Amino acid sequence: MIVYILGHVMTIVAVLLVLPVIVGLIYGEAECVWFLVTLLGSGLIGLALRSLKPDEPVFYLKEGCVATGLSWIVISLIGALPFYFSGAIPNFINALFETVSGFTTTGASIIDDVEILPHCILFWRSFTHWIGGMGILVFLLAVISMTGGSQMNLMRAESPGPSVGKLVPKARHTAIILYVIYTALTVAMILILVLGGMPFFESVCTAFGTAGTGGFGVKNSSIAGYSPFIQWTVTVFMILFGVNFNAYYLILMKKFKQAFGMEEVRWYLGIILVTIAVIVLDLRKVSAAFGENLRSAAFQVGSIITTTGFSTVNFDSWPSLSKTLLVVLMFIGACAGSTGGGVKVSRIVAVFKAGLNELHLYVHPKSVRKPRLDGKPLDDSSMRSILIYFAFFIIIFAVSVIIVSIDGQDLITNFTAVAATINNIGPGLSLVGPIKNYGLFSDLSQVVLMLDMLAGRLELFPLVLLFYPPTWMGKSRKIAK
Amino acid sequence: MLADKLGSNGSGLNIIIVGTGKVGATITAALYREGHDITVIDKNAAIVQTLTNNYDVMGIVGNGASYSVQMEAGIEKADLIIAVTGSDELNLLCCTVAKQVGHCDAIARVRNPDYADEIPYLRERLGLTMIINPELEAANEIARIVSLPRALGVSPFAKGQAELVRFRLPEGNAICDKKLMDLGELVKNIRFCAVEREGEVYIPDGSFTLRAGDTATFVASADAAVSFFDSIGLKSGNVKRVMIIGGGKAAYYLAKQLTVMGKAVKIIESSRARCDELENLIPSAIIINGNGSDEDLLNEEGLRDADAFVPLTGLDEENILLTLYAREISAAKTVTKINRINFRNVIQNLDLGSVVYPKYVTSEAIIAYVRAKKASKESGIETLYHLYDSRAEAIEFKVGEVDGITNIPLKYLHTRNDLIIASINHRGQAIIPGGNDCISAGDTVVVVTTCTGLKDIRDILG
Repeated sequence: MIVYILGHVMTIVAVLLVLPVIVGLIYGEAECVWFLVTLLGSGLIGLALRSLKPDEPVFYLKEGCVATGLSWIVISLIGALPFYFSGAIPNFINALFETVSGFTTTGASIIDDVEILPHCILFWRSFTHWIGGMGILVFLLAVISMTGGSQMNLMRAESPGPSVGKLVPKARHTAIILYVIYTALTVAMILILVLGGMPFFESVCTAFGTAGTGGFGVKNSSIAGYSPFIQWTVTVFMILFGVNFNAYYLILMKKFKQAFGMEEVRWYLGIILVTIAVIVLDLRKVSAAFGENLRSAAFQVGSIITTTGFSTVNFDSWPSLSKTLLVVLMFIGACAGSTGGGVKVSRIVAVFKAGLNELHLYVHPKSVRKPRLDGKPLDDSSMRSILIYFAFFIIIFAVSVIIVSIDGQDLITNFTAVAATINNIGPGLSLVGPIKNYGLFSDLSQVVLMLDMLAGRLELFPLVLLFYPPTWMGKSRKIAK
Repeated sequence: MLADKLGSNGSGLNIIIVGTGKVGATITAALYREGHDITVIDKNAAIVQTLTNNYDVMGIVGNGASYSVQMEAGIEKADLIIAVTGSDELNLLCCTVAKQVGHCDAIARVRNPDYADEIPYLRERLGLTMIINPELEAANEIARIVSLPRALGVSPFAKGQAELVRFRLPEGNAICDKKLMDLGELVKNIRFCAVEREGEVYIPDGSFTLRAGDTATFVASADAAVSFFDSIGLKSGNVKRVMIIGGGKAAYYLAKQLTVMGKAVKIIESSRARCDELENLIPSAIIINGNGSDEDLLNEEGLRDADAFVPLTGLDEENILLTLYAREISAAKTVTKINRINFRNVIQNLDLGSVVYPKYVTSEAIIAYVRAKKASKESGIETLYHLYDSRAEAIEFKVGEVDGITNIPLKYLHTRNDLIIASINHRGQAIIPGGNDCISAGDTVVVVTTCTGLKDIRDILG
């Protein structure tokens, strides 16, 4: 069954590769040949794998997680091939890093000068963000009607956030609705950017980067070179794509009260407003231009909390308080059910409330009280999974920082590099700051950071499960039999 | 609006199922397989979680009778609500609330004997589409099997005009190893329509040969079924003495029917209070207060001489053990009720005789209704039965004026290969059709097919 799904995923990637080929043809670039080669290879292998019909059409949570983890690794390998073949990125590990960074919507780059790259390469870079934002398996669910139940196990493994609610009874319809909302918002953004005077190609790439909360730009200076109108547009859309998509569905269903009553969304907007205010105050120390400070503060806050990673200024040179706030925002991340990464606002709020609850229990040891989210009590099992998520997050984070520090960079670089990759943001501080890139890391560190990105995007467990031996035990025993 | 379209796209109906017990889960599984959009509601989060993990359905935790929970489940856009919680009153309230808010059809489970006589009244007054009573349905089925002891199962069509009878062909019988068309007079009034052999289900034609050990299904009128069994040497002595273990609702419904039919009924029930109640409700039955799984008690009460033995305790395992014991020591016809456990393969191999599953009886009735709802105006499904573990279906269609089907002799009708027209009920008279008969408007037609999912009479054409 897992192989069958991988086959489907590969054929879908092949179909998606048609777009950069078209872009290449429009601009008459020779590099599009390599996309065509990858497309054919991936498509043929995918079709071959699909013909191996599974003996059992159902799959359980384990299979769902493993299929998701493997799918993401496979699409990253395939997606890296055009970069490598075309010579845009001569080192394969670097090419893979760039692709993983794309699909996981991180936006951490190892490329020094993006402006010399051909259009089809740039397009593919940004397009990986768009695909990765909502998830390739959600896309799979939307286009293929699978027999048997348990599709939720795929969606659960891939969607950001602690709990996955369906909008409508069927997983397929839910997936279609999500993609329709996603596409509609992206198209709206492209239109506004074009109206704001941005060239069409750059608008499309920027919109893809924003929609997936990725952050690959088509300019070395990211968004800094564009007009204030465009910067504000990108700011607003970044924040919009960081909102739980359920809210949009509720708005579409004209249930405005419920949509705006979502506690997570309120916290999310609240955190954004407060941080912007503090940073604007802090920036007065370095510059007096209020309008400009507000714009760059809003842009950077939106970019970091939604884990997009675009930048308009080099925030590495900001005062210490502002920098620290941005690093904290990296960990908070966007809302569950959005395209953003990070720990997710709902988890933070849940843990915060659980903490308050614990304090309450110190004062009234015998009181019966449960933390609530959206008015519903958080039961012990979901609380437990949130806390375990935190524990895993910290362990993975610490181990990664230790391995990366073998390279000998300074602590801030290592710390923020891991933070920016595991939270799928992109730029960190110091040597990996907004105007720098990740090219300085060794291959080992790049592999670790890639795994961090995948782990962060897939909410840790689907990836961690691949490295847990008992996952594979049952399989081998079956074969032996 | 886009979202509306997306929310209700596809061909499935929007169905809300309240209560996820045995029956609720079975209905969810069955309707999910039919491709509908299903939302389940239950107070127990763990059960809802299990269902949403196993099937692609939406789950909501809460009280299904509450207005806000129903709104959350999308009652405004629902086509059907099915209330099958443990409480009759809650089920009725669920449907009543749903009727006020949405424009959906409503099906409620009501099984308390107190309401049994008032069901038509309740149904009409509350505007419900259907009220189901699994225990009563199961009791009806058991009563039919008990009166035709050679059969493994008996299901009625056309308001009892025709019956679908399932039996196992014993070794060395006269009709073994002969082609159906060579049986002549023997099968004149019956129609073999499905045969299970070594795990495969066949739709037989004239050249089909029956073998010993086959589980065969035929359609016939009740009288014709009895005389067919007589003529092939499977004489069925008249069942007189019926022993029932356990005095629950199903036992009550069954005992009441059997006493009306003039059988001597003996019920063994362990609760003294329930015995008193039963004694009051069915004075003509013998009520024994004792433990039904006590070997000595069973022997003392004459299990050896009983003609039929029906264990109806709440524990499936106990029912199975009791049946196995009864088959060991007596020649009684046994009917085993299985509520909960699922190992159907194991149960089939156990030689239990007839087995009745109340939860499937319920889901069959609901599927028949749901399919009929999607069918065209001129044709509808009256009854539907799953045969052989849902690998075949027997469907009774009500037929209006349909071009290409009505008034055409059957020999010119090109039906599907995996389908057989078993019976036509013409003006209250069930006939086994030959090539020259035709279907007229207003008839009901029974077809048996291994192609599951037929909705419309037109679907029978190849």
